[in-house]
Amino acid sequence: MASATPHPARTIDLALAGLDRLSSATGEPAALLERRHVAGALLAGMTLPSRSLHLWKYTDPGRFVPSSDPTGGTLEAVTEAWHDNSPHAATAVIAGGAVRSIELSDEARRAGVVVTDLHRSAPLDLLGTAVPDGHGFVEAINAAAWRGGVLVRVPRGVRLEQPVRVRSVAPATGTALPRILVVAEPGSEFEVLESHVGGGSGTLSLTVAEILVGEGAQVRYDLIQRWEDGVVGHHTARARVAARGRFHLALASFGGAVYKADVGAILAGEHAEAETYGVAMGGGNQHFDHHTEHLHNSPDTRSNLDFKVALTDHSRSAYTGMIRIAPAAARCEAYQENRNLLLSEDARAESIPELEILNEDVRCSHGATVAPLDEEQLFYLKSRGLPHNQAMRLIVYGFLDQTLARLPEATRERLEALVAARLHAN
Amino acid sequence: MSENLTLVTMGGDYAERYGFRDPEDFFVKAPKGLNHEVVEMISRLKKEPEWMRELRHKALDTFLAKPMPSWGNLDMLSRINFDEITYYLRSTEKQETSWDEVPENIKRTFDRLGIPEAERKFLAGVTAQYESEVVYHSVKEELTKQGVIFLDMDSGLREHEDLVREYFASVIPVADNKFSALNSAVWSGGSFIYIPPHTEVTIPLQAYFRINAENMGQFERTLIIADEGAKVHYIEGCTAPVYSTNSLHSAVVELIAKKGATIRYTTIQNWATNIYNLVTKRAVALEDARVEWVDGNIGSRLTMKYPAVVLKGERAHGEVLSIAFAGPGQHQDAGAKITHLAPHTTSQITSKSISKDGGRATYRGLVKVRKGAEGCKTSVQCDALLIGHGARTDTYPTMEIDEDDVRVEHEARVSKLGDEQLFYLRSRGLTDAQARLMIVNGFIEPFVRELPMEYAVELNRLIELEMEGSVG
Repeated sequence: MASATPHPARTIDLALAGLDRLSSATGEPAALLERRHVAGALLAGMTLPSRSLHLWKYTDPGRFVPSSDPTGGTLEAVTEAWHDNSPHAATAVIAGGAVRSIELSDEARRAGVVVTDLHRSAPLDLLGTAVPDGHGFVEAINAAAWRGGVLVRVPRGVRLEQPVRVRSVAPATGTALPRILVVAEPGSEFEVLESHVGGGSGTLSLTVAEILVGEGAQVRYDLIQRWEDGVVGHHTARARVAARGRFHLALASFGGAVYKADVGAILAGEHAEAETYGVAMGGGNQHFDHHTEHLHNSPDTRSNLDFKVALTDHSRSAYTGMIRIAPAAARCEAYQENRNLLLSEDARAESIPELEILNEDVRCSHGATVAPLDEEQLFYLKSRGLPHNQAMRLIVYGFLDQTLARLPEATRERLEALVAARLHAN
Repeated sequence: MSENLTLVTMGGDYAERYGFRDPEDFFVKAPKGLNHEVVEMISRLKKEPEWMRELRHKALDTFLAKPMPSWGNLDMLSRINFDEITYYLRSTEKQETSWDEVPENIKRTFDRLGIPEAERKFLAGVTAQYESEVVYHSVKEELTKQGVIFLDMDSGLREHEDLVREYFASVIPVADNKFSALNSAVWSGGSFIYIPPHTEVTIPLQAYFRINAENMGQFERTLIIADEGAKVHYIEGCTAPVYSTNSLHSAVVELIAKKGATIRYTTIQNWATNIYNLVTKRAVALEDARVEWVDGNIGSRLTMKYPAVVLKGERAHGEVLSIAFAGPGQHQDAGAKITHLAPHTTSQITSKSISKDGGRATYRGLVKVRKGAEGCKTSVQCDALLIGHGARTDTYPTMEIDEDDVRVEHEARVSKLGDEQLFYLRSRGLTDAQARLMIVNGFIEPFVRELPMEYAVELNRLIELEMEGSVG
């Protein structure tokens, strides 16, 4: 019996005419341009994913197709006066489709840390090893047409006290395609703070970040999204963790109109570990769609995930989380928890924590809840004389803080300040 | 794979236990394959009213037009050859009214299963579906006195056409999915039950289904209506002999629990491991009604079954309690679907699965809370146990919440049959096999507890059978 697809596949109508010009203008090696063309050809053969796939059930993939050729024209960066004098090992700013500035502390420079423009220095053997160019259509668009990329490489055994900051400032209009590659050589230890700001109602941002965690290396990665209203954005971030490596991801999503994040870790080597802690706060008509993946490909790997979502107004959130234990990955442990707090009648949350377990020697659990504000707690706080709004803020803060409290101190303080600011903005 | 061969495969000794075959003895057997002629023949043979004939034909068009599911075990699904299936056959010409009149070879089949003789006194009525037609049917006098209707679906349509016309396909529309359309086109047999208002049926109503012809499809159709304040427990059980080629079972079961009514529907399916068991089961629960699906999946090659409850009236309650056992080559893709449409409705899903030696168990669930259904509570709990090499378990729970004043909880745990537990039990003098069986029994105990005694015994016997040879 013939079986047709339920809906005709939608084609991705996107011209990438300016690849050659883009590549030569940024001084890329020929091999990189060739790679872009290969990714472009890959994209040309793709259709938009079916909405019946759970990964795209809640967000229309069509939102992430640029309305015009992203390789043409120039991007105007939102001008910002950004002064953050907190200590850092390095700071790179991506804006207007290019790396605008790179600062490196003396400590980092002496240790041999590299923070540089990815266009000129992309290690072709590593690019695409955590997020393959054909991962999906968004990743293929980025692989073909990324502009404004940063490479961070921390040498073997180097431990940095201060974070490496990568700041991506979205343009007021047009398509931003940042790309970040972090290489943590064996035994290195450091923190990366990737933040996304700026943008406007005409902005589309499609980011790909790859983090390669070498043997025994430890990377703390903070992914903070604070776009202006109206931004439509997609972010794919994957860590590939070698034996005994540790990847610790802190995820905080606040801004934009439509935001889909696909983040996670591939535990490729034995005894590798990944932890993901995250909060998302939605208001207005914001639409969040977070997908996390912890793929246990090797024995004795461990992962933990705790993701909290608080929603007000008409905002909505979808969360899908996948834990996958490969057949050869014995003695793994994996835990996953997603809790959603609905603060208004019209807020809406979906939660799909998934498990695929192909090895019997495993310890694994997940949990998810969706619940309204606890009226009793609210009543209690109000009976103590707290005004309604303040009581609400306290409860939300308490809800999110259970997760934030599990973060390293510096990260926690940073995120707590952002949560507090967001709470007071509502 | 080679290492698994040393273990007794799932259902490996089926032939000795259940693998008896009676010579095919058919009065009517449709040619293989499906088209409008076959549908016409089925409807004409059954002397059905015009509306049902039309419904069947429309359903066939829907079935042919609908694509196969784009999710689930696509590899296994793609192996179903719809052209190789016989869509209708009937082994005896007329309904039997007493056990004595049931043909000897059919009785033998049931005797081998150890079912009716020992338990007949417990049974309110037996609807034994042998091939595609109900061959044995007895309704206790008491039930008749109570005004309870307990018929096979074909008789239900003949004798209570108005009721059937009102409710047939009202819970599961013909076009709900490809397989509900298939069933609607070629359905045969199944049960039709109506419980009058404020009537409590104290003994479970039972039906036994069997498949006994090669490439034989079973498409039974069950409709249960519990009127206001009525209470009923229906039990469907099935065991099938082994056959060499693939077979399809695709039932549709619709339950309607009116205001304050209670329906419990218990199934333990133990189809032979060559059977594709693709079943649509859904209930509607009105105000203060309660619907419980107790669902056990032991057999079949692939089962795709997600018993559903639509909580339509205030304070209605829905429950799905299920176990799945997946041995080598089996995929139990089972779960539950609960839709909260009304305020203060509550639901609970408890799923337990065991994957053993290459078997795969999947929990696939959906909890929906529609806007306006305030004060709802729902909790989902999935536990999976993995035994042996190559076993796989998946959990795909979906929660869609449109209302803020609800509490939704989901939890899942996966564990392997623990060495520590085994060591402890062995130190108490149990053999390895005994210890494993004891752990598995403990794991499924919450399910077994909900079964009538005779079923609990049968299930424990089945689990014991499946666990044989799991040492190592």
